[in-house]
Amino acid sequence: MKKFITGVLALMFWVNAEAGLTSTAEQLLQDYQQQGATEADSESGKSIWYSTSENRSCSSCHSNQLKDMGKHQKTGKPIKPMALSINKARYQDSKKIEKWFLRNCKWTFGRECNVQEKSDLLSWLISQ
Amino acid sequence: MKNNHSMWAGTGLLIAALGVGIYGMSSSMASSRYNSGYDSDEHERDEHNRSYSISSRFQNRVNPLYEEECGSCHMAYPASLLPPEGWLKNLDNLAEHYDENAEVDVETLAQLESYLIDGSASLRFDYRRWMRRGNGEIPARITELPNFQHEHDEIPLKYVSGNDKVNSFSQCNACHKSAQQGDFDEDNVVIPGVGRWDD
Repeated sequence: MKKFITGVLALMFWVNAEAGLTSTAEQLLQDYQQQGATEADSESGKSIWYSTSENRSCSSCHSNQLKDMGKHQKTGKPIKPMALSINKARYQDSKKIEKWFLRNCKWTFGRECNVQEKSDLLSWLISQ
Repeated sequence: MKNNHSMWAGTGLLIAALGVGIYGMSSSMASSRYNSGYDSDEHERDEHNRSYSISSRFQNRVNPLYEEECGSCHMAYPASLLPPEGWLKNLDNLAEHYDENAEVDVETLAQLESYLIDGSASLRFDYRRWMRRGNGEIPARITELPNFQHEHDEIPLKYVSGNDKVNSFSQCNACHKSAQQGDFDEDNVVIPGVGRWDD
């Protein structure tokens, strides 16, 4: 009985720690498909990430390496790494992900990203 | 009897496990919840700095939402550094926020507004002294406040805009090491690459 209970406890901790993380981003990718995106293409996400628009690109603030710390171009404030493997906390809240897509696509490209672009970008970021 | 005991113990553990599960699920929601509570009691300060203790209840309030929404990109300037009119000028146009996009949803905006206005500079005991040099107009930038300019007018620009460890007067915490806690005591000013500054 004791072993069983310990097992249940361990399982619940594990479920708590793991399930919430990947599923938020994966759920969001599914939502994007329902909104009209085709299957996410992380290679395309990568090329959007490194593309420049009037001297601005994602890497202006997030650095060239997704696993490294970034730095706000203007204020110099440190920005935590983007790669899921380094910073899982980034991908736990779909509202937060959407907020940053909105703010940062507008700053970088001067317009909102469409669902396909967001889908591709997200799949690239979580693959890192 | 012994079996009975272990059964109860087992049930207890299971309930605890469920509790942990529910807590885990709800904690992420709780962490983003608006926190309007005041921070703990003001710090006792010495006679020289008595002026700070009076307003520190405003300066020391920490708000997780404000830290997240505004403090992700720049220092989360203490609410007590700008009068309500100044905060509103900023909040009214977050989509074009000094060449950045800092949009937030309507609900978040209302919460930020309430936090910033509730602790704003007009509640400071020394607010009138702060503003007496100006023409009465309230700027959107802290650095354009009459008192700010008066306090910083003797600092050579080469120590600020010409100093790559500072870059601009907007980086309070480059020189005021406890700026984030609302402490702008002159005695604690250290300009990077220059040293202690006392005018």
